[in-house]
Amino acid sequence: MMLSRVTRLISGARRLDPGRFLDTGSQGSRSLAAHPGNQAPDDRPRAVSRTSEKDPARHAEQHEGLHYDIPLQDMRTLFPHSLPPRFSMQVKTFSEACLMVRKPALELLRYLKNTNFAHPAVRSVLSGDVFFNPSALDGEKGTGKTLSLCHVIHFCAKQDWLILHVPDAHLWVKNCRGLLPSTHNRQRLDQPIQASIWLKNFKTTNDRFLSQIKVQEKYVWNKQESTEKGSPLGEVVEQGITRVKNATDAVGVVLKELKGQSRAGRFRLLVAVDGVNALWGRTTLKREDKSLVAAEELALVHNLRKMVKNDWHGGAIVLTLSQTGSLFKPRTAYLPQELLGKEGFDALDPFVPILVSNYNRKEFESCIQYYLENSWLQHEKAHTEEGKQQLLFLSSANPGQLERLCAHL
Amino acid sequence: MAASSVKAARGWPVLALGVRNRLLRLPGLTQVRWSRYGPEYKDPQIDKEYYRKPLAELTEHEKDDLELRKTQHIKAAPATKTSSVFDDPVISKFTNMIMKGGNKVLARSLMTQTLEAVKRKQFEKYHAASAEERATIERNPYTIFHQALKNCEPVIGLVPILRGGHFYQVPVPLADRRRRFLAMKWMITECREKKHRRMLMPEKLSHELLEAFHNQGPVIKKKHDMHKMAEANRALAHYRWW
Repeated sequence: MMLSRVTRLISGARRLDPGRFLDTGSQGSRSLAAHPGNQAPDDRPRAVSRTSEKDPARHAEQHEGLHYDIPLQDMRTLFPHSLPPRFSMQVKTFSEACLMVRKPALELLRYLKNTNFAHPAVRSVLSGDVFFNPSALDGEKGTGKTLSLCHVIHFCAKQDWLILHVPDAHLWVKNCRGLLPSTHNRQRLDQPIQASIWLKNFKTTNDRFLSQIKVQEKYVWNKQESTEKGSPLGEVVEQGITRVKNATDAVGVVLKELKGQSRAGRFRLLVAVDGVNALWGRTTLKREDKSLVAAEELALVHNLRKMVKNDWHGGAIVLTLSQTGSLFKPRTAYLPQELLGKEGFDALDPFVPILVSNYNRKEFESCIQYYLENSWLQHEKAHTEEGKQQLLFLSSANPGQLERLCAHL
Repeated sequence: MAASSVKAARGWPVLALGVRNRLLRLPGLTQVRWSRYGPEYKDPQIDKEYYRKPLAELTEHEKDDLELRKTQHIKAAPATKTSSVFDDPVISKFTNMIMKGGNKVLARSLMTQTLEAVKRKQFEKYHAASAEERATIERNPYTIFHQALKNCEPVIGLVPILRGGHFYQVPVPLADRRRRFLAMKWMITECREKKHRRMLMPEKLSHELLEAFHNQGPVIKKKHDMHKMAEANRALAHYRWW
């Protein structure tokens, strides 16, 4: 019965114009858009958009273009900070978080699965157009770099890695109030608010590791408080959250400890930074005497730069280059060279760039199908072929633009 | 043409064929709203379906029409009218009324944000409702918009008429276009004036549209006030002479 249905669908596909795509993947992992019951012989194969494969480890080429959903309580632990604002609005409206499985994410997952952890950390930067031998994630505005990063983070969380996620490095170099001179190093500046927010989110994501990892040195915060050698990392995080003045130093300590201990092999570390070009760009922060602050004078940025460097084992670094929140970069810039500048590029060299591009025909159909399934496209003409062609033309298959267009249609 | 040669003889610049100078005809009156196109210019046919019909299916009348259009002068299509399937004249008119200072980009973005806000609010209600209520909840922002404006249209209006040195508010039936205009005008004025300083226009507009859709809210109240005033001034109805 099942076989005859599948063969009828396949023969139906050959009869139609190349505009229709049918996913002939594994039998078990599909949910047809319409009733699976009626299979008239002249039935057009319905484009499918979802897969029931919830484990990112098992995502492969046959799942390309399909949506899989992440349970909402996982979303709260994995992404306690806010996701990209439009995506979080979509999650709220549909009451489900669905990500599309796409090529760049699959490539990254393949690298992560095959990584030999004895070698120095493989750095993958989600970025632009050029294919060097190293890998990186970049692309033009709105192509899906941040969500590909979220896919990778979900995979690593499922595999029980320790996740160090900086949701947007641009937030650390602009609009920061309350800069204090650093307690550790006089030349640098602290950012207590940003550091404490990050520590809170880090704690939510990695709660179970914080009691297992032990600190290797004694840290003295001030005259009354200090953390002894061998106490759990959770204490350092608590110290940073409660004593906001020491938050930045707490972040520095956490990063140093994790980097030092990841080579021991007790846990695997994933460093995921979104908008890493902020670390080597200009800032808009000023001191009290109105003099500009350079990026390296911020303690958070300094520590994160050390983390992103290629000199530790036992984990992976996945980065995203983004123009969207960046300062003093033109809107059309998306290549690693343009966004990172010479200094950043040399610091990150060698890395593997992975291009994230616009939707191809299949992914576009899948996205439209997903919106239709959730009844998001309410305009009566949006269901027609003509409407779809217009959406394709207006958005030029850019995922961000398509989402904005479908929002009001 | 005789007219243009006369103008050339008198030394006046000869205007292009079809451009009229009505000032010459009625010396006392100036046109406030007039078009540079003469009466021989026909409106452009934007609809794609008109041109896609195969030749065999056309009636005689349509075939003659098509032949005639090949030789007629056609006005240029305005930039705001598209052949897109998503084009809606009511939405375009409303967007133009929201526009201030020629900033169509802002007006259009406000309109799209309003439609999106309406849609999201309705989706929230839909997800929170039980199975029977779900059938009654309308989620299409376009139907809500059209229905809300239709609900706000007054049936009868008041016109000031001068009699014996005094202006009397006389109840008068309104044309369709005047009704649509009043509905849109009231909606926009209400949203501009009666909102909190920090509230954004799309939020307020979406709220007002949803209320008007359910026949509640201040714009519907304004329509009812207009009807009541017209009812109260019934006695003056015979002042109307058209």
